Amino acid sequence: MQGNTVNYEELVPGYEFPLASYELSASLVSKYVQAVDGAGDGFVPPLAITVCAIATMAGSISLPPGTVAIHASQDLEFFKPVPIGTTVECHIRVVQKIARGKMGMLILELGIFDQGKEKVQSGKATIALPA
Amino acid sequence: MLTDIHEGKTLPPVVKHVTQEKINLYAEASGDYNPIHVDESFAVKTPFGGTIAHGMLNLAYVSEMMTAAFGRNWLSGGRLRAKFKEVARPGDTLTISSTVNSIEKRDGVSYANCSFEVRNQKGEVVVAGEATAKFSRGQE
Repeated sequence: MQGNTVNYEELVPGYEFPLASYELSASLVSKYVQAVDGAGDGFVPPLAITVCAIATMAGSISLPPGTVAIHASQDLEFFKPVPIGTTVECHIRVVQKIARGKMGMLILELGIFDQGKEKVQSGKATIALPA
Repeated sequence: MLTDIHEGKTLPPVVKHVTQEKINLYAEASGDYNPIHVDESFAVKTPFGGTIAHGMLNLAYVSEMMTAAFGRNWLSGGRLRAKFKEVARPGDTLTISSTVNSIEKRDGVSYANCSFEVRNQKGEVVVAGEATAKFSRGQE
């Protein structure tokens, strides 16, 4: 492992990414809403929460130069509306790793909690990346 | 919010234009600076031949449609399963559509099970999946 990154070999079932915590600030939500041409309603758009978690995780994976990781599928469940300004904590772990030739598929389980430790989202993501 | 939710009901479609500016803004908001999305000189050397939109940006449009249809019930109790089938590129026009396939009642609460698709201007399916949201009596 180099610095805060993890390489493909280290991503085995059971591996837990370092906990990521981030504030869903008004400026972040405003930027997100603008990017998706959305309409703000006082709550954080649920996928804005998810994507911050996934980006933090994806940014910590060390990939061979010139290659990319691609999001193949996403399952999500939303448990409660999240007010703007909430700080959330994200738990992501590898549940399955599938090798397909030069590509690998990682199935990740994610859980996102608010300051009161209440679950706000859970889900599963499949990421394709070079093996 | 939508009223008259029933099996076969089509949700109001959403049309979105993908631009590099929006992709860059999305990268900034999400923190996802994967060069395949934001670095044309990098992306052109990959099998994609150029930058592509984040899959989650394409999926955000589905969530927006569900929020418009189901309001807070989508934020609390909404579920989705999505497969990213094709990439969206700057210049693409995406049409997001959804149909209520079935209604079920659990513990006195009504749930709408919907299928959705995101298609590009060539008719190719970019994202497809299912979404479920509860809805209130006033929406029936």
